[in-house]
Amino acid sequence: MDSVVSPAFRLAASPDVVGAEVLDLVDEPVILVANHSSHLDTPLLLSVLPRAMRDRTCVAAAADYFFDRTWKAHLFAFSLGAIPLERRKANRSSAELAVRLVREGWNLLVFPEGGRTPDGWMQEMRGGAAYVAEHTGRPVVPAYLSGTYAMLPKGGQGLRRGSVRVLFGRPLEHRQGEDARRLADRIFAEVAKLADESQSDWWAAARRAGSDTTPTPLGPDASEWRRAWSLPAASRPPATRVCRSREGEGVERRSAGRSPWKD
Amino acid sequence: MSPRPGFVLPVERSTPPVLFWNGEGLLLESLPAERSRVIYPPDPLEPLVDPVEAVRDALLHPLGGCDPLPTLLRPDMRLTIAFDDVSLPLPPMQAPDNRQLVIEEVLDMAAQAGVDDVVIIAALSLHRRMTEAELRHALGQRIYEAFAPSGHLLQHDAEDQEALAFIGKTDQGEEVEISRRAAESDLLVYVNINLVPMDGGHKSVATGLASYRSVRHHHNPATMLASRSFMDMHHSELHSSNWRMGRLIRESGVKVFQIETTLNTNTFPQQFAFLQKREWEWRVRDRASFVAASRGLSVLGDRAKRAILHSIRAPHQMTSVQAGEVEAVHEATLANVFAQQLVRVEGQTDILTIGLPYIGPYNVDSIMNPILVAVMSLGYFFNMYRGRPVVREGGVVIVRHPTPWAFHAGHHPSYIDFFEEVLAETTDPVQVVKYEEAYATDPWYRQLYRKGHAYHGVHPFYMWYWCAHALDHLGAVIVVGGDRRAVRRLGFKAASTLEDALEMAEDVVGREPTITHMRVPPLVMADVE
Amino acid sequence: MKALVFERSIPRIAASRLATLAAGSGRGVSMAPLRLTDIETPRLPGEGWVEVAPLLSGICGSDLSLLDGTGSRHFEPYMSFPFVPGHEIVGTLSSAGGVAIPGRSPLQDGERVVVEPVLQCAARGLDPKCESCAAGDTGLCLSTTHGHIEPGLMTGYCKSTGGGWSAAPLVAHASQLHAIPAGMDDTDAVIVEPAACAVHGALLAKVQEGENVAVVGAGTLGLLTIAAVRELTPVGSILAGAKYPHQKRFAVELGADEAGGREELARAVRRKSHSHLVGGDVVSGADVVFDCVASRGSILQSLSLLRPRGRLVLVGMPARMSLDFPSVWHRELSITGSYTYGVEDVPRGRVRTFELAIELAGRLKLGRLVTAAYPLERYEEAVMHAATAGSRGAVKIVFNPQARPSRPARSGGNMAAGRDKAGAGSSGGSLHAEVAAIVPGKGEVR
Repeated sequence: MDSVVSPAFRLAASPDVVGAEVLDLVDEPVILVANHSSHLDTPLLLSVLPRAMRDRTCVAAAADYFFDRTWKAHLFAFSLGAIPLERRKANRSSAELAVRLVREGWNLLVFPEGGRTPDGWMQEMRGGAAYVAEHTGRPVVPAYLSGTYAMLPKGGQGLRRGSVRVLFGRPLEHRQGEDARRLADRIFAEVAKLADESQSDWWAAARRAGSDTTPTPLGPDASEWRRAWSLPAASRPPATRVCRSREGEGVERRSAGRSPWKD
Repeated sequence: MSPRPGFVLPVERSTPPVLFWNGEGLLLESLPAERSRVIYPPDPLEPLVDPVEAVRDALLHPLGGCDPLPTLLRPDMRLTIAFDDVSLPLPPMQAPDNRQLVIEEVLDMAAQAGVDDVVIIAALSLHRRMTEAELRHALGQRIYEAFAPSGHLLQHDAEDQEALAFIGKTDQGEEVEISRRAAESDLLVYVNINLVPMDGGHKSVATGLASYRSVRHHHNPATMLASRSFMDMHHSELHSSNWRMGRLIRESGVKVFQIETTLNTNTFPQQFAFLQKREWEWRVRDRASFVAASRGLSVLGDRAKRAILHSIRAPHQMTSVQAGEVEAVHEATLANVFAQQLVRVEGQTDILTIGLPYIGPYNVDSIMNPILVAVMSLGYFFNMYRGRPVVREGGVVIVRHPTPWAFHAGHHPSYIDFFEEVLAETTDPVQVVKYEEAYATDPWYRQLYRKGHAYHGVHPFYMWYWCAHALDHLGAVIVVGGDRRAVRRLGFKAASTLEDALEMAEDVVGREPTITHMRVPPLVMADVE
Repeated sequence: MKALVFERSIPRIAASRLATLAAGSGRGVSMAPLRLTDIETPRLPGEGWVEVAPLLSGICGSDLSLLDGTGSRHFEPYMSFPFVPGHEIVGTLSSAGGVAIPGRSPLQDGERVVVEPVLQCAARGLDPKCESCAAGDTGLCLSTTHGHIEPGLMTGYCKSTGGGWSAAPLVAHASQLHAIPAGMDDTDAVIVEPAACAVHGALLAKVQEGENVAVVGAGTLGLLTIAAVRELTPVGSILAGAKYPHQKRFAVELGADEAGGREELARAVRRKSHSHLVGGDVVSGADVVFDCVASRGSILQSLSLLRPRGRLVLVGMPARMSLDFPSVWHRELSITGSYTYGVEDVPRGRVRTFELAIELAGRLKLGRLVTAAYPLERYEEAVMHAATAGSRGAVKIVFNPQARPSRPARSGGNMAAGRDKAGAGSSGGSLHAEVAAIVPGKGEVR
């Protein structure tokens, strides 16, 4: 993992990491929560964790994708320290497994949206991470990944060049008497704030969060094309491809001087 | 400083040889002194400094009493954006394409207005469907990714009965049938690239989004014989028919917001810059480029030559954009096209010579088959005139092209049959008509047109009709350096050298004929007194 | 008198087969067990037999496969060795003996006849006849190994009768003889036998009003099949697969709507049937395909051109081969062999195939397909010419056994040799002149 994935990542994507200092300050084990838009997310996030932390982190991955074949199950379990998590229905046994792992001292990486975004916008989060936090009393570290959708979207056939950012937020503790749903809302709000920050800056995002005007990371409630059209620039497909897709016959050129991309 | 206008050079003894395209090759030919002349296109016009701003400005200040685009947009409306297909421009332009620049602006306004129901349609008419790469290139990645995955980027299908709407008949009895989505939209925005004066106007919607049932009323020998030329809409029955249809479409309630863009003739990238310079102005570097290009191409195989040449992306730049009501827009567009392409030519000539390039509207990324050789020379270049044809009645057109007996099976399946079956029997456009229906309704061609990337079954007939005016006007057509069997099948004469061809032409037009060479591309339109 | 005689020599057959495989059809003839030798006129086997002196005798595809050593061993029991080949025969009666063709006036010496070569029950003196002969289907005779003559499917494969490649008369039974009209050229007459095969195939397919037909192969049989289908059936269109320019020209002259190469034929059939293509095969296609080559390639091609429930008629003689047959099953195709001739049901009644063929050959002047006539002495060249007919601009090559070896042989031979050097030459007028020069019964030489 260390020798292959992270150098590869630094070469292809050179992630820009913001707020990683929280990782040094927080007591492990923690529950890492992030938005999910690409198969690149797991290796990316792991690659930016401090080495010591990464070695004690396991990933709650979708059982139906990563563990549907024995070879895949072994590959992901070994290379990423992944554990299978049922995403279709609230599954007590997998949640119990996660709680047990955290209690045993493992950090847990969870993507609470339950799957990758179909269109670049975030989806509603489920309650699994909050459940684990409530039952273990461990802090939740929110994170926001931007740029991976543009590089390898769901259903995409070729890896494209792009730049990615990883933003870490303040750890959230489970409060006395707080139910899991309330905690889940706070987690979502923190991720939304990080999403806002990824497109503006920390101060602007903080002020909007303070006045309760953080833009929704779920995107506008509109037709498909308008959701696609209003995607933030970092989530849009780039003009040039690294690898060709199977259908891609032509070679795209980036225009000189006259960029059609207006942000 | 305004660029140099076009120019007619009288050939003298000291005039250097003139560049001829020869399909996927290039060569220099000497024309007889004292009785030859060469028509050079004007230099490329200065492009718009900020095309994006110009597009926005055109959308906000439309012509012909049309309201600004944003005021025509409502959240609950049906908006359809149609655009010209891969036949334009030639060669395909470097990104960003005009269509991308315009449609992104339109979509920004539509997003601002909250229009949810937007569909984008490639106005193919009976042309082949575009490939994914071609669509991505024409529209840009952002539009493609936002519309294609959800199925809101369509390619017009003139054979999908469900997706066609019958509008009615013109006062001349011409049936008008266009894309149902376009007809039933609250607003139809059509985005053009007006490369030649034939493009645009009412022809955009009335042909680009029409079905065979409708197109056949103006794509036929009678119409083409009455279009002199079809590049000059005021003397073109092709355009009169399209205008009748366009007006009927408007009267039926279809609201069209027309956007037309023009390009300068900056046709070739830096390494081929000599192609758009006049030979006597070639510098050492240009000579070296010519030698390198012509020698290099001559040693390559056909596939390699095609791969290299078809990868050329023209550095065309936008010279104007106008939007609004169709007829007002088109008038402004024509003025801009003529400003770039028109050259004054005094009097007609006995012989017109043309070196055909590797590309035409119907063989982008494909093979220029013999039928396309005919249509490029007798359809397109012959018709690039206003007033009178460059060549006199009974004159001769001499074409330089290798004219291989070769077809792109995926793009031109019905062309192969047309060449083997129809032209074997007759080359008279009027006689050819009797085969038309069988080809137009052939289920296999229909399948390949709808699901593959094939031109419609009837398309080779249209190519032949396109030649009708020239075939009627000329005394002979001679192809220099062509496959003899293929050239004869076309009904033309074959010559091995230009000198031989000129000798042969003298049998038709008499001794010491005058010769005019059209130095294309870049494109030039002759204004013949 | 001279004749070409074929013997049963396993080593020589093997040698010619090797030469053929190595160098192509016709190359093995010098090693084949065929030699020019003096023979006696065969003994008349009995009642109703007469002597016929061959004027012209063609070289047929089945003769070539015999000489190439590539023929199927299927036919071995149906031959008797040694024999004089040649079953496409026009000749003159040299000992009529007052024998009468049933239903005709007695034959006279010197009268010209074509020989219907099948040695069926009547010729073999068998009575009662077998079922096939009783029904008139003499080509399907069950008794071709019985009776008072040696086994042999036909004259030209039987030890007892002699054959056409002979200056000496052969013997034929009255039931095998067909008088030809006085004005008919010998070249037209020598085409009658293959024309009868074509007529039989064309009528066997029961082509219905307006049906689309494809003919694969435009050698002698293919061209004659085109003519027979056009003349004798209510066919709609005929599309011909022809490789060489002269074949295409003859195909169109004889009634094909279009003639082209393999791919052109496929495209033309697709067009006519308004069909789709799947994996290169038409999904609809021709109603009937006549395969006049019957090689592995041509059969596969023919199958790929048929519509579902289409009929393939093998007019050419197939050899041993392996084929991909799923399309036959999946598309319910039928495959029919078409062998020789017999009696046909036509609008005017039941008529001998040969009578129809004589009319056809005379009416259409089918002798135009005869490219060259060789004297027996030049048999090696003749066989080579026949084996490479298509690429050399030729169609039918025949022997002229009566050509005197001196002047006519040299004149004909020189011209043939000249053509050898020229390789594939043009056909037409000059070739006809060559034939005229050496064919008695045609032109001033006679």
